[in-house]
Amino acid sequence: MRSGTRAVRWGVPVAAVAVVAGVVAAGPVIAAVQGEPSLPRRTAAELLADAAEKWQSGRLPQMSGTIVETASLGLPALPAAGGATSPLGLLSGSHQAKVWYGGPDRLRLMVPDEMNESDLVVNGDQVWWWDSAANTATRVKGAPDGAGRPDAVPYAKTVTPAQAAEEALRAAGTDTEIAISEDATVAGRAAYQVVLTPKEAGSLVKEVRLAIDGETLVPLRVQLYAKGTAEPAFEVGFDSVTFTPPAAENFAFTPPPGAKVEETTAPSIARGPHGKDGKDGMDGVDGHDGAAPRVVGDGWDRVVVVSLPKGFEGDLAGAADRAKGARDGDGVASLANGMVKVATPVSGEWGSGRLIRTKLVTALLTDDGRMFAGAVTPEVLYAAAAAK
Amino acid sequence: MSSHETLAHAAPLRAAGPARAAARLLASETALTFRRPRHLALLAVLAVVPVLIGVAVRIASTDGDAGPIIARVAGNGLVLAFTSLSAMLPLILPLAVSVVAGDAVAGEASQGTLRYLLTAPAGRGRLLALKYANVLVFCLAACALVVVSALVAGLALFPTGPVTLLSGTTVPFAEGLLRVGLAVLYAAAGMAALGALALMFSTLTENPIGAIAASVVLVVVSQVLAVFPQLSALRPFLLTSWWSAFDGVLRAPMDTGRMGTGLLVFAGYAAVSGAFAWARFTSRDVTS
Amino acid sequence: MNRATKAGPSGEAAPPHPDDHGTVYGPGARAERAAAGDTGHAIATAGLTKRFRGGHVAVDDLHLAVPRGSVFGFLGPNGSGKTTTIRMLLGLVTPTSGRCSVLGEPMPDGVSRALPRVGALVEGPAFYPYLSGEANLRRLDAADPRSDPRTAARRIGEALDRVGLGNAAGKRYRAYSLGMRHRLAIAATLLGPRELLVLDEPTNGLDPQGTREVRALIKEVAADGTTVFVSSHLLSEVEQMCTHVGVMRTGRLVAQGPIAELHAGVAVSVRVETPEAGAAAAVLAGFGLTAVSHAGGMATAELGDTPPERICAALVEDGVAVRGFAVVRPSLEDVYVRLTGEGFDVES
Repeated sequence: MRSGTRAVRWGVPVAAVAVVAGVVAAGPVIAAVQGEPSLPRRTAAELLADAAEKWQSGRLPQMSGTIVETASLGLPALPAAGGATSPLGLLSGSHQAKVWYGGPDRLRLMVPDEMNESDLVVNGDQVWWWDSAANTATRVKGAPDGAGRPDAVPYAKTVTPAQAAEEALRAAGTDTEIAISEDATVAGRAAYQVVLTPKEAGSLVKEVRLAIDGETLVPLRVQLYAKGTAEPAFEVGFDSVTFTPPAAENFAFTPPPGAKVEETTAPSIARGPHGKDGKDGMDGVDGHDGAAPRVVGDGWDRVVVVSLPKGFEGDLAGAADRAKGARDGDGVASLANGMVKVATPVSGEWGSGRLIRTKLVTALLTDDGRMFAGAVTPEVLYAAAAAK
Repeated sequence: MSSHETLAHAAPLRAAGPARAAARLLASETALTFRRPRHLALLAVLAVVPVLIGVAVRIASTDGDAGPIIARVAGNGLVLAFTSLSAMLPLILPLAVSVVAGDAVAGEASQGTLRYLLTAPAGRGRLLALKYANVLVFCLAACALVVVSALVAGLALFPTGPVTLLSGTTVPFAEGLLRVGLAVLYAAAGMAALGALALMFSTLTENPIGAIAASVVLVVVSQVLAVFPQLSALRPFLLTSWWSAFDGVLRAPMDTGRMGTGLLVFAGYAAVSGAFAWARFTSRDVTS
Repeated sequence: MNRATKAGPSGEAAPPHPDDHGTVYGPGARAERAAAGDTGHAIATAGLTKRFRGGHVAVDDLHLAVPRGSVFGFLGPNGSGKTTTIRMLLGLVTPTSGRCSVLGEPMPDGVSRALPRVGALVEGPAFYPYLSGEANLRRLDAADPRSDPRTAARRIGEALDRVGLGNAAGKRYRAYSLGMRHRLAIAATLLGPRELLVLDEPTNGLDPQGTREVRALIKEVAADGTTVFVSSHLLSEVEQMCTHVGVMRTGRLVAQGPIAELHAGVAVSVRVETPEAGAAAAVLAGFGLTAVSHAGGMATAELGDTPPERICAALVEDGVAVRGFAVVRPSLEDVYVRLTGEGFDVES
């Protein structure tokens, strides 16, 4: 009898674990119990036409929500890749941002970091970039007419589902198979799923899944699947979303007293928060001697070609050395450092160089100082390298 | 026999006050905690660190070209409260809480006083609940002490006025104080979850140092785990990942979503550890 | 009253003992009585067994009956299971099997009902070194949900005065001498009106003066009608203050009953000093005595019911040169040693 009561006693913590596990798993479980939502049938063409009309009309509903971006590209680990606000930081792990959308000319995008925050606030013709870590408010000047449109702000372009979806659809041409898959639930909302499947064999992309809200036709999630993987290599989507007008305070930004106030022109913000001075950040590449990147091929097999600046020529190890001096591990140098470490030497009719393979992206650094990169198999890169 | 009379007259008292009796034992627990030399030393450290941070910032800020964080604190004394909390939440505060909660049961067991409390009879479940209540009081007191000390030092060393939030919005000083209060409550809740874990360890052993060490090691290990990008999937499940979310009070609008999730995580940790502690403590043989 | 009962050699179950009314219950019947809350006994156990993890059996099938109002000496060498038994009685340790009840409440489930009426000293004093004696008692009093906070100061003062610590009440426990620590522990058992005191080795480590004081205090408490259950490994101590005794050996209760009856179960022997030991032994054997032996000018035998004067006469009649003749009654110590085994070995 005593052993009986003892068993009952230990049943309490076991039950507690079960309850907590249940709460943790509640989302998926509830989704599983509810099954897939079923929305009125639409063909891919109807859906895309409706959605495109809606997006282009600028009549997207006001909303606010939390966006989660998750990347598992199989890149070499990039420890301390500059935190959530660094462009390179977005290439690994999971990141959160909050978005408030109050119409075509009212947007706030907030990227929280521990005891810090970065904000992009668009309100009519005023565009501010606030970086609390640097205590700097940057006013974006000379914004083109369409400044208010979120896609006019390149930083937002890389993050909001609307822009990612638009990008994916733009990439779709005759080389893509477009189908409607079973409906999905994203951020608690029933959504259509459009699946884009590349036809080219050389592409590493298995498919792109685009979830579009069944009611508002707002893109809620984009998932990129690499070939041979079950989990998306890259995903950006709403974690929670409400379609109510956000509070007006979100779009009112005044530089706080004591903050540095800077002004910049629109394009430079594309370099991200640390790219202001143009010395680092992804776009820093074209600040060097190398030629601007160009794109060869088309469709899913597109390859980016960069002629690397002098320091990279021949001696890749030198690049790694330079990288050690780079601050915060962000910027191209750090990336090069990480790449050089995992690169395998390759050679062929096209010459010789080093190859980096990830789940989704392949990059080739030739010994004559060119870099080829794309979501393609190495063969496609070799072909591009041979073509000069 | 006199004892029978006593019981007869004790009966109405019993009806009147399990709550009052519990309050009496809790008062005894807190008095014990806050009178103990070791704990007083811990509280002194908690009070001194914010002052040291304040003085260091003051010295650095006169140097001229100071970093933005220093400028932020030097610009407003109230910010020192948040900076101190942020600096002390990863290790110093958890250490203090671990010492108090890890010692709660194991310390009594190793000292032999546990057997006398239980034969008093304090009641096992009741004693454990009141021990945890005492840990809650300590968590709140420790976080409040850090902030009060930081506020006093901040007001003495730096100018005051409207407070700039992380979002760049400026709020009046009084609202800043209110937000400090909320940060203290949130931080105390985070510490209370750790306290429940440490209390659980405390019921597993008769060696208080072992329970304290287990709790501190857990804090350090989970913070180390959170550094590896490969283990990022683990992060939301680690207790330590949620402590820093008190900075949600410094955003406009306040990040209640993340803080709410944090509180849920704290509650989950507290419930599971509390249940294990209870099962263990009410069934274990007290042989010390 | 109970007759003293001897258990068989260890390994066999103890035979059922006759209870107060002379009725012999089987173990099952006793267990029922204990479970039902035997109000005639301050402490009653039935088949109480504790097997610790690792398989060590500390207490084995214990049937203990402590009458109300008695001063019960719980005797046994160190390691014989006394402290484990006491821990089970106080709800600190959960029995592996068997039942026990204290003041009519089953333990450990009735801890909250029984223990406010029980004062306990288990395995020496243990207090908070950085608190004063008085503050220590206040904490223990606060731990008892049934104690009245309004009378706490008075009760604590009285308890301290009773053990002679009135003047040292404000001193930190750290500064107390060993004797004072013991007295504080006893004061803690006297914080309220108690029906039962459970004292585990209350005089352990005390000087003779302190021992005497504790003994006097126990007698005083017992005189008020409180049942006292006191464990000890010292026979003399038990002999001086107890009305009843129970003897433990390697986790088993080998005897229990009123102290006077413990003697009764042991044989009285006759001893003859003579140069002709063989002849004397023959005479003793002639009376049909058992355990006859002779060696080196000495013949002994168990006396049984034979009147010693007749043996004496027969010896003289047979011409045995009797230099000395004695009827030997074993002391309680002999009984104790016989029950618990010789030597200082701690049996496990």
